[in-house]
Amino acid sequence: MDKKPSHARTVIAYIVLILLTFLCLFFFYILIVNATRSHPQIQKGFSFIPGHSFMKNLKSVLNDANIPVLSGIKNSLIVSSLSAVLATYFSALTAYGLYAYDFKLKKPAFVFIMLILVMPTQVSAMGFINLITKMGMLNTLYPLFLPSIAAPAVFYFMYSYMQSSLPLELVEAARIDGSSEFHTFNRVVIPIMKPALAVQAIFAFVSSWNNYFIPALVISDNSKKTLPILIAALRSADFLKFDMGKVYMLITIAIVPIIIVYIALSKYIVAGVALGGVKE
Amino acid sequence: MAGITFKNVVKTYDNGVTVVPDLNLEIKDKEFVVLVGPSGCGKSTTLRMIAGLESITDGELYIGDQLMNAVAPKNRNIAMVFQNYALYPHLSVYKNMTFALELAKVPKDEMKKKVQWAAEILGLEPYLDRKPKALSGGQRQRVALGRAMVRDPEVFLLDEPLSNLDAKLRTEMRSQISKLHKRLGTTFVYVTHDQTEAMTMGDRICVMKDGIVQQFDTPQNLYDHPCNLFVAGFIGSPQMNFIDAQVKKAGAGYALCFGDTEIAVDKPELAPYEGKTVVLGVRPEDLHAEPQFFGKNNVINAYIDLDEMMGAESYLYLEYAGQKMIARVPARYAKKAEENIELAIDVETIHLFDKETEKAI
Repeated sequence: MDKKPSHARTVIAYIVLILLTFLCLFFFYILIVNATRSHPQIQKGFSFIPGHSFMKNLKSVLNDANIPVLSGIKNSLIVSSLSAVLATYFSALTAYGLYAYDFKLKKPAFVFIMLILVMPTQVSAMGFINLITKMGMLNTLYPLFLPSIAAPAVFYFMYSYMQSSLPLELVEAARIDGSSEFHTFNRVVIPIMKPALAVQAIFAFVSSWNNYFIPALVISDNSKKTLPILIAALRSADFLKFDMGKVYMLITIAIVPIIIVYIALSKYIVAGVALGGVKE
Repeated sequence: MAGITFKNVVKTYDNGVTVVPDLNLEIKDKEFVVLVGPSGCGKSTTLRMIAGLESITDGELYIGDQLMNAVAPKNRNIAMVFQNYALYPHLSVYKNMTFALELAKVPKDEMKKKVQWAAEILGLEPYLDRKPKALSGGQRQRVALGRAMVRDPEVFLLDEPLSNLDAKLRTEMRSQISKLHKRLGTTFVYVTHDQTEAMTMGDRICVMKDGIVQQFDTPQNLYDHPCNLFVAGFIGSPQMNFIDAQVKKAGAGYALCFGDTEIAVDKPELAPYEGKTVVLGVRPEDLHAEPQFFGKNNVINAYIDLDEMMGAESYLYLEYAGQKMIARVPARYAKKAEENIELAIDVETIHLFDKETEKAI
């Protein structure tokens, strides 16, 4: 028989959970509160009560000619969305290739991809910049999303998910039903992979959205800058122009799309889409 | 419609294991053939070669008169029902059934008609909008059958389709599949390891072991005239009793001696075996407890280890002269465990096998 959790245990569990929730949400709260306060107010110290400078901060962020926020949001959205789509689709395609087909050099191919996984971005950055300069892509958005096609971590996640949730009988059934290999991938495999695609799309979107390193190396035009570069530019503004309220406002603006993407995709993160198709 | 012909077909996997060494088989048009055998006997591989899911290492496979070795599964005009259903989990029952038709660009009206027809036969009409996960095992299996039916294939392939169902549903689906075969008049190839399924459904049964066809015949012939020990033991439940017996000359004929029994048989084929040991095969129902079968020298007095009362009849697990046997006798003639019983062997129905080659004599 199951032991009923005691009253004290429940109370402790709730206290811990409340603490964790507080730790997670407190900083968001401070961020939003500070976005509504002016620079001198923020300098005075920290407060739980929102200030009255929300519109002022918003206007000063939007009207700053050196910080093209709207184009920054647009650039970030383009780069992050394309990164998410390319990373998930092509990683799923690669994983499917290695999972569903038998061919020579299958194992070496897998090992090779895993080796790329352990390579830090910083190591290959100089080579990468050299390459895109030669290809004429320096100071364009392409180098920010095209490399997402080869995402070893996403590939590995997709591969593991296929092993647990994609029975090869489904692929065989589709083949017998007259489906071509590519059609099978798009119409049978992709729908079954939806939860994995959603999770990885969120991760890819967020990591691309927060990416500072590569865009800082690649982009020099103000109109092509993404949000992280703009935030950094604002923070490093000279002493006279430095406005904390403005910085907090820009960061607040920057997290809104991420929250929207998360809410939009989280409903797809349901386990067991493949349940029922094949008897385990 | 089409028959299927295997000509010296070999299947060797990449790791060098040969599952099917040399297969020659001719399945006639509109025939219901069951491939049966223990697991690992190559029956599923054979079916998958027909489907094109498994490549053929050597030899030729024909469907109708077309050589199929290099033809892709989608161009073979076959339909297959898998052991674990393999329904598309994200599509409704209706969409599952029309998946192949959409690819074949069948007009919408016709598609609807076909699905209606199949759903009516299989009793799936109320479930057409449901997803597979909202169906029971039996319903899912029927959807899998329906998906195959609507395609109007030349050949129907079924890979252990009933093994995931419970006993009652299995019996029900068995008769449904048999009826379906009669109704569709298509060639059916059915793989199972269950000899009851094989016996009840097949026009002909192909018994396989280690990738080699042991016997390919009608159910009745397999039962009455098994060609070797393996087939004799595999077909029939409870399985045939095998008793080592010595052949002696007795008058004009021969006698089979085991324990203190000597059974007179009139079989001239036994001549080369005089003085040697052969295997005597007796089906459990050919051991009779009824007095009218008792004759001269055909009665054994066996000890009952265990008795299983089945209602109309009893299975008696016996021990006689150090050999184990099973008898299937009418309940009212049966005795209890730990007693002795006299049983008559029906000499007309016995089977004899060479002990070395295991072939029927």
